[in-house]
Amino acid sequence: MAMAAAPSRPFDYLESLPGTTFYKLYQQPSTALAIFRRMLPDLAKCFVMALLYLKDPLPAADLEVWVKAESLKERDNALSILGRLHILSNTVIADNVRAYKVTDPFASSLRQALTGAEKTQSFGVLSHISDDVAISITELDEYARRQWEGVLGYMVGSSGLGIQRDVNLSKGVKQLLQAGHLVEIRDRRVEITQDGFAFVLQDVSTQVWHILMLYVESADAIGMSSVEVLSFVFLLSSLELGKSYDKKHLTSNQLRTLTDLADFGIVYQNSPDANHFYPTRLATTLTSDSSALSNPISGSLSGPTGTGSNKAGTGFIIVETNYRLYAYTSSPLQISLIALFTTLKYRFPNLITGKITRQSVRRAIEMGITADQIISYLATHAHPQMRKHNVSRSTSNQAGIPPSVLPPTVTDQIRLWQLERDRVKATPGFLFKDFVSLAEYEAPCRYAEEIGVLVWKSDRKRMFFVTRHEQVAAFLRSRK
Amino acid sequence: MNAVDATEHYETSARDPAPALLTVILDTNPHAWALLEDSLPLSKAIANILVFLNAHLACNYANEVAVVASHSQKAAWLYPRENPATTTTTSRDADGDISMNGSSTNNNNNNTATTDGPGQVNKYRPFRIVEEQVTHNLRELMASTTGADVKAANSTMMAGALTLALSHINRRSIAWAEAHGGETAAETSGGGPSSGGRSSGTDTAERLQSRILIISVSGASDSAHQYIPIMNGIFACQRLHIPIDVCKLSGDAVFLQQASDATKGVYMSLTEPRGLLQYLMMAFLPDQRSRRHLVLPTRVDVDFRAACFCHRRVVDVGFVCSICLSIFCEPPENGTCLTCGTNLEMGDYGAKPAVVARKRKKKKRVNGPSGTATPTPTPTPGP
Repeated sequence: MAMAAAPSRPFDYLESLPGTTFYKLYQQPSTALAIFRRMLPDLAKCFVMALLYLKDPLPAADLEVWVKAESLKERDNALSILGRLHILSNTVIADNVRAYKVTDPFASSLRQALTGAEKTQSFGVLSHISDDVAISITELDEYARRQWEGVLGYMVGSSGLGIQRDVNLSKGVKQLLQAGHLVEIRDRRVEITQDGFAFVLQDVSTQVWHILMLYVESADAIGMSSVEVLSFVFLLSSLELGKSYDKKHLTSNQLRTLTDLADFGIVYQNSPDANHFYPTRLATTLTSDSSALSNPISGSLSGPTGTGSNKAGTGFIIVETNYRLYAYTSSPLQISLIALFTTLKYRFPNLITGKITRQSVRRAIEMGITADQIISYLATHAHPQMRKHNVSRSTSNQAGIPPSVLPPTVTDQIRLWQLERDRVKATPGFLFKDFVSLAEYEAPCRYAEEIGVLVWKSDRKRMFFVTRHEQVAAFLRSRK
Repeated sequence: MNAVDATEHYETSARDPAPALLTVILDTNPHAWALLEDSLPLSKAIANILVFLNAHLACNYANEVAVVASHSQKAAWLYPRENPATTTTTSRDADGDISMNGSSTNNNNNNTATTDGPGQVNKYRPFRIVEEQVTHNLRELMASTTGADVKAANSTMMAGALTLALSHINRRSIAWAEAHGGETAAETSGGGPSSGGRSSGTDTAERLQSRILIISVSGASDSAHQYIPIMNGIFACQRLHIPIDVCKLSGDAVFLQQASDATKGVYMSLTEPRGLLQYLMMAFLPDQRSRRHLVLPTRVDVDFRAACFCHRRVVDVGFVCSICLSIFCEPPENGTCLTCGTNLEMGDYGAKPAVVARKRKKKKRVNGPSGTATPTPTPTPGP
């Protein structure tokens, strides 16, 4: 499932890094903290914290009795993730007893993060500027929203819908989007790819991670060390919103990264030469996994532009059981996103209405959007009213299944509409035909069936279709 | 077609897990800490607790902490507190209001920001804010404690601290639920008196996960006079599914054992107080979600003794009003219950030989094996 895999994307990338890279990364307390917070499942966090201040490695048997017998799966999952991220290592203490311990650069960095460290600037250095020139949180949110919406607008190509093109995207941003195969340039026109559709329908925090990982991957190509960029990204995630930070402790590569990230609205600086910068909410919520729910940026991104960014409840879409959809938004970007899978009916200053139809969903699926992406988009942006309604309904829900925000009939139907298209399944393979006699046909056909490669056969036409031909061909040769 | 069946439809609604709110009640009774001076001085304990708080904050971006001091003559907030200058009860409440409306970690650092000079150690800012506020407020609390105060009281205001913690949790849960369009805590638990067990999966996913950790040093006999408010606090926690964890550094507190037993929390009496941090990290850090997978230290022999309503004595065996279940250490005057005023038939009580009339083993659990016995004053022959 594409959507399920997407949020763990930064994780996949990190796992592919060699152990030495981890060694370098974990030198920074902020990196250790960010990885601990964002990448680990609950149980793994418990293990790390329990082992962090132990002097001796913990025997594996002790760890095993600590976890309930019915939670074996969770335990193994946690241990394997910790192993893959090079956080926990197996050692052997006396008498061949296996034991776990937290690996060193990670352990000492995490301890430093918890207790404070003397020498590092791992959590940024505040710059002292007077309050009257300081940028307020509202301004930062507005800046981040404008830049990020500009990026998404560029991808969706919502200029036709009258989006304000006051955001100038730098060349670097456009190249990065192309390098990540989120957009393609065809005949000098920007066209969004299938990956791009998946991208724009995700929640903001996942999008930011996606972009950052693309950036890190491309860092080596433009002559920067990916480790340095990555640890700078983690540093950004540990900064505080609304505070300005000094730039004089940063290396030249980090300064370059800073300028690039400013184009995305992840950080803000008055000018590239300013001696301080501000992280925006896009940066400071990087290690939060309570994605769009508590994120005012996505609220202001999705909601009508210009409303207060600290408005509680960020959703704006209401879906009824009769497939009608009401979206309280005037954002051209959101409207064009909704239009991807909805037949729009009316448009009011702050509201659009439409209907999710078989046709509109099929159109979206033809463009490469999956049903899961549509459903997850709707659920992410569901209006608070829908959540409330859903809760009151769930109390009478005797089955004990976690309640869905969306009407189940709508989500089912969207999935069924997708399945409709999946009736034809393509199987690459090889066709054997033109057999002279029935006997000559039957023997290899039976052989193919026995070895499990036969997909289809027709006795009348004396043809059969297999997924692999080597063994069947060898069989035919051996009979000659 | 197999993909479309009832089990998979709800996947997308399974949102990110709700954050956890950890409220630490720190017993700051000066008498008890003086006894611990050799093994674990208060300053060291505070340092350990701060690391533990940071560890909790580190687990999730949206995690919150709150710290209440249960001092010898009052209960006071250590964190969050908007204006450390005020100490009176009324303004303290008002302050709590302000800081709890917004995201508390971001708002109330205005007065501490100036201390962030270049000489300071580099630290993640939310950690620093908690640390500075807790130490500052604690120092202030200690400074405001006079010698006369210390002489006057040698107990700790556990009931008050528990109530402060509960009200804070309630406020945060409501605020969180409003912000996320979920239910309030009161709605879910309104279904009836539950036994403290987790009834279904729905209430754990959508709500702020709150729990209370009591770091206790005072002995049991001191808090007997707070028996009723403490038990009320415990029952409130039980109803709201808030586990009370108890980390006992010295002495042994009767009511707190009952607290963790009734709310399915962790009770640990540390044999070696010096290892406080490791105990905290291992036993008390896992939140409710992780606890489902872990084997937790539990106590089998819970002390269920109660305190009588008339003299606040902890009793093993006492008298119980058959109407309102009030507990008395001796028969009330004229057989009139002090709580509900019912005139109780005392039977042959007092006649020799002594009769164990209406006398029963003092179990808090009313429907325990001995509690099922009828409370009618049928005289039973004594031993």
